[in-house]
Amino acid sequence: MLRTVAWTDSWKNVKQEWQIMIGRRQSSGGGGGRTRGGMTRPPNNDNLVTFKLVVVGDGGVGKSAITIQFFQRLFVTDYDPTIEDSYIQHTEIDKQWCILDVLDTAGQEEFSAMREQYMRKGDGFLLVYSVTDKQSYENVMFFYTQILRVKDKDACPMLLVANKVDLVHLRKVTEEQGRELAHQLGIPYIETSAKDPPLNVDAAFHEVGETK
Amino acid sequence: MLHFYENTRLYLTRKWKISEVKNLQSRSHGSPGARDVYCVLSLDQEEIFRTTTMERTLNPFFGEEFQFEVPRKFRYLGIYVYDRDRHLKQDKILGKVAIKREDLAAYHNKEHWFPLRPVDADSEVQGKAHLELALQSQIGYSQPKLTVRIIECSELTVKNSGCDPFATVTVNYSNGKQVLKRTKIKKKTISPYFNETFVFEPEIIESKEKDISHYPLERGEIGEVVVGLWHASSGMGEQPAFLGEVRVTLKGLQKQPTNTTTAWYFLQPRQIKHRPNKISNSSTSPGTLPGLGSLRLKIHYTADHSVNIQPITSSAVYILGEIVASKMEAAQPLVRVLVHYGQLVSVMRALASHEISKLTDPTTIFRGNTLVSKMMDEGMRLAGLHYLHSTLRPAMEQVFLEKKPCEIDPTRVKDANTIQTNLTNLKEYVQRVFTAITTSGIRCPPLMCEMFWCLRELAATHFPKNKEVRYSVISGFIFLRFFAPAILGPRLFDVTTEQIDFQTNRTLTLISKTIQSLGNLVSCRGGAGSVCKEEYMECVYREFYTEKHIQAVKQFLELISTSSNSGIAKQRTSTQQEQPIVLKEGIYFLFMHTADCKKRIMIKRAQGRKRFGRKNFKQRYFRLTTQDLTYSKTKGKEPLCKIPLEEILAVEKLQEDSFKMKNMFQIIQSQRALYIQAGNCVEEKEWIDILTKICHTNMHMLMAIGFGICKAVAEIAPGCSEVSPGVEAGLRMVLDPDRDLQRIHSLIFTNMPRLETLMNACECQAVYGANDMCIIPGGGSLIEDVPSCFKTLTALREAAYALQHEHRAYFRRLARDTKYGSKQAPIGDDNYLHLAARAGFESQLIKRAYEIDSLNQHYAETDRCYDSGFSRRIEDQRSYDETFRKRLDSGSIHRRYENENNLLRRYENNIDTIKSIQNDLSTFDHSLNNTFKTDNSEKNVNLENNRILDSSSFLTTDGITISNTLSRKFNSYDHTKILKECTVTKFKSDKTDISCNALNDHTH
Repeated sequence: MLRTVAWTDSWKNVKQEWQIMIGRRQSSGGGGGRTRGGMTRPPNNDNLVTFKLVVVGDGGVGKSAITIQFFQRLFVTDYDPTIEDSYIQHTEIDKQWCILDVLDTAGQEEFSAMREQYMRKGDGFLLVYSVTDKQSYENVMFFYTQILRVKDKDACPMLLVANKVDLVHLRKVTEEQGRELAHQLGIPYIETSAKDPPLNVDAAFHEVGETK
Repeated sequence: MLHFYENTRLYLTRKWKISEVKNLQSRSHGSPGARDVYCVLSLDQEEIFRTTTMERTLNPFFGEEFQFEVPRKFRYLGIYVYDRDRHLKQDKILGKVAIKREDLAAYHNKEHWFPLRPVDADSEVQGKAHLELALQSQIGYSQPKLTVRIIECSELTVKNSGCDPFATVTVNYSNGKQVLKRTKIKKKTISPYFNETFVFEPEIIESKEKDISHYPLERGEIGEVVVGLWHASSGMGEQPAFLGEVRVTLKGLQKQPTNTTTAWYFLQPRQIKHRPNKISNSSTSPGTLPGLGSLRLKIHYTADHSVNIQPITSSAVYILGEIVASKMEAAQPLVRVLVHYGQLVSVMRALASHEISKLTDPTTIFRGNTLVSKMMDEGMRLAGLHYLHSTLRPAMEQVFLEKKPCEIDPTRVKDANTIQTNLTNLKEYVQRVFTAITTSGIRCPPLMCEMFWCLRELAATHFPKNKEVRYSVISGFIFLRFFAPAILGPRLFDVTTEQIDFQTNRTLTLISKTIQSLGNLVSCRGGAGSVCKEEYMECVYREFYTEKHIQAVKQFLELISTSSNSGIAKQRTSTQQEQPIVLKEGIYFLFMHTADCKKRIMIKRAQGRKRFGRKNFKQRYFRLTTQDLTYSKTKGKEPLCKIPLEEILAVEKLQEDSFKMKNMFQIIQSQRALYIQAGNCVEEKEWIDILTKICHTNMHMLMAIGFGICKAVAEIAPGCSEVSPGVEAGLRMVLDPDRDLQRIHSLIFTNMPRLETLMNACECQAVYGANDMCIIPGGGSLIEDVPSCFKTLTALREAAYALQHEHRAYFRRLARDTKYGSKQAPIGDDNYLHLAARAGFESQLIKRAYEIDSLNQHYAETDRCYDSGFSRRIEDQRSYDETFRKRLDSGSIHRRYENENNLLRRYENNIDTIKSIQNDLSTFDHSLNNTFKTDNSEKNVNLENNRILDSSSFLTTDGITISNTLSRKFNSYDHTKILKECTVTKFKSDKTDISCNALNDHTH
């Protein structure tokens, strides 16, 4: 992995967040803590901190595109709708290895029955919409409320991601509208583009841990 | 235009989603720390649905949905959480959530965490009792004589598969004395008719008997009568089981001379202080312990009403999609109605064309969640469910049976050596499913083919150079939205009823992913060379990314997207007729000879035999297909009896008293009849509904029978019963367009504020054109064609209000005719409040009226800016005015005015100011007529008119509240006052507006 990431303060926050999570998981033990990662992870990874990140949003907004851009440094031009893909990356922070477990999900409502399953498991969420699709922007609200309800919490690490900002001439949702929604939900906002050269893709994946 | 006339009826549909339970208490024995949990959904005490069992957890996650129509009245809808126990015979109840019927609406479409409540034998009651209480004062006695007549009971609970009820009457005197009397036991009935009278003589003051010593406080007053119902257990020495009780307080009533009341009462749970102590150590849950856990539920509750409805035009379809919060809500009834009228394909074409025209990137065609995609999805589920089952079931059943591991992700397996074997397993499964799908093209239902054909044509027109889109547009639906979700969640699509463990779940995910990618293959330009998202999947894809597979997918997509006019389609239809489609199946009890269409157990009875002893009930597996009704000993066995559908003349629900059995119905043939007992009331209704439809299609339905579910046959105008030939018989049988229209109406009415906002936007846009000043609150694009859009909106609103008016009238009538204490509305459960609310049509509606009011203010503002812009835009105005004129011509103003006058007369008695309003109104009326002639002022009239329309509707609401006899419970007087004041101010402002307008006219 030959990429440099700007190790900002956010990473430290992410780390703290993870450590809190892990601590909670270890103390809870038994049923609640028996997650997929815990059971099947290779033994040498056992002492590593895992952060489960889930990418949600309407169909065709580019969830897979930004995920693949982040993991494989590629922009996929073909559209192959996702059912459920997971990616794992080991990252070193302060000489300590961490695991970033990203779950890329299906946007179509036909799969909404499965949504709750991964919402339960996720530690952080990227709420993605496309700036060229007003409907996807409006649907962010549904994801947001559903996540909080499933988690039964008032807040959860989330990030509002406005994707496809490179398509300036097709833009239907302005930055102000995006920021307003983010403010309303009380979560940070970021504008991304998965198309080469990518914009803010790494930052999006790193920043979500920062939010509390 | 088609019209439906039919009796008003009320449908209740409920969709439940049992999501998860948390914080259960851990077990005290067995495997500690965890439980095997399942939930049971029940109507009162009758089980309707059961979830899968989640093993070894205290926070089970179910995520199961269950949708059903409620066939009967009930008091509580309960969800019981059970702990399965392999060692003990009976599963243990952990707790329950019970929701009163009347409260369900409040939880509509929301998710909640409900606390679990303890359950014990005394809290679970149902049914009602018919009692007569009489107090007669007697000469020579200071106290009156009490006569209690226990007439009958109905719908008692069945305990230990039996019910031999008897009743006890306990009279509690104020001095602590208790007198207990009991009735005879009635055997084997849940609706016993006792008709026994008990007389309680008052204490004789000069009593010379030994009672005096017994009861020193001889002047005891009758305080309370308790009627308890019990099930007499057959075992010797066993305690009778409690079935419920009715407590009537009589204190203070003695003073009245004669007081006879006959009424129905709801049976109530036993009060805690009266409960015997023995329960504490029984196996039921620890009742008093706090924190039994909680249950998350999503309730989707719709109450549909029906009256006359006109089919809604295609543009209304779009508007409906715009105004509702969830497109799914609109899509379901819309698709069903459109299918019934055979217009689905044409409407879909128009909507899809609109959506494609807005599309810029063909790769994301129909990938978002829009009305078109939702309607396609709904259409596919409606038309293609049987197709889905027949295609996937064989291949999927193998997966469930073998349970071979298929994990190929190196990070998820313990032993890397197993990957190769797992890969082989996975390939085998995928190949099976893939073959099943690609060879199923010939069986694809015609309706689906029509839709796909239409989409393909559209894609070809809009993207003539891009050949891939023609495939991707279809694969995006058939694979992505149809097969892939069904493989991933087979229980949701009824593909299986099997429980799915974690490993199988993962296998299904992998299969689903591969199938989806394969389906998408033809449209990917890259083909085998394209990027693989997850590295470990590459070896699977490599196996299937071959020319052979691509060819198979192409052929399949071609086949299912051909128009019905072609030869292939005809061939398809003929094959379809040969293969019967299972409509319903199940195992039920059969009395004699029965018909079974579902897969549950029904009871059959031998006809000609006198009594239906247990012997004559046999469990049989029933199956209803598009060709016949059969039953056999078990599933898969040779049928014992086969009844062609044409021979089914009628189906009839049997009243409980005819067999002393619940959920019975009979199927009538020309020579004999079958008696079947369904598992529960929901299943019974489903069977009766589907069989009734079959009888209708048979065309020689016996008309004599009074159906329990008063299915007044819709009088369809001649020519309207023709259903498009594209709709298969099986599909037609599951459709009920009337009720779907009703659901649409409900949707429109509940979303009225949003519709009105759209209307405002229309007006605004007409004046100022498309600019920033006219942004629709909450987003939404600009209106393309203002006049026609406005016309539709107005028509929709008119229709919705007219309908709602009739509904209200119906409910008022219903509430007025319902006597408190009658069998329909027994005493207890505080249901007089609901009755009253029904008559006033819910405080919710009143709230809505306020909302309209605030909208009106917004309206007034729009009005003002409209006025200023008006003179500048007379040119634009002309076409716009056309839409208004129609409404004026309709004479609806006069009707509204009449309403208002009636209402005002009612007020007159106590409020003088109303008179002045009336005067104002009449002057306003005059001014209306005066201004009517001038083209210029026409618009103003309409705006006023709108406002009056709104205010009159909200006044009507108020009027109902007043007319309601129980309104004092609601302090409705205060409401009235507030509303009245609102009205006065509004009319005043109206008046000023008019005068302003008049001035304006002058200046012009």
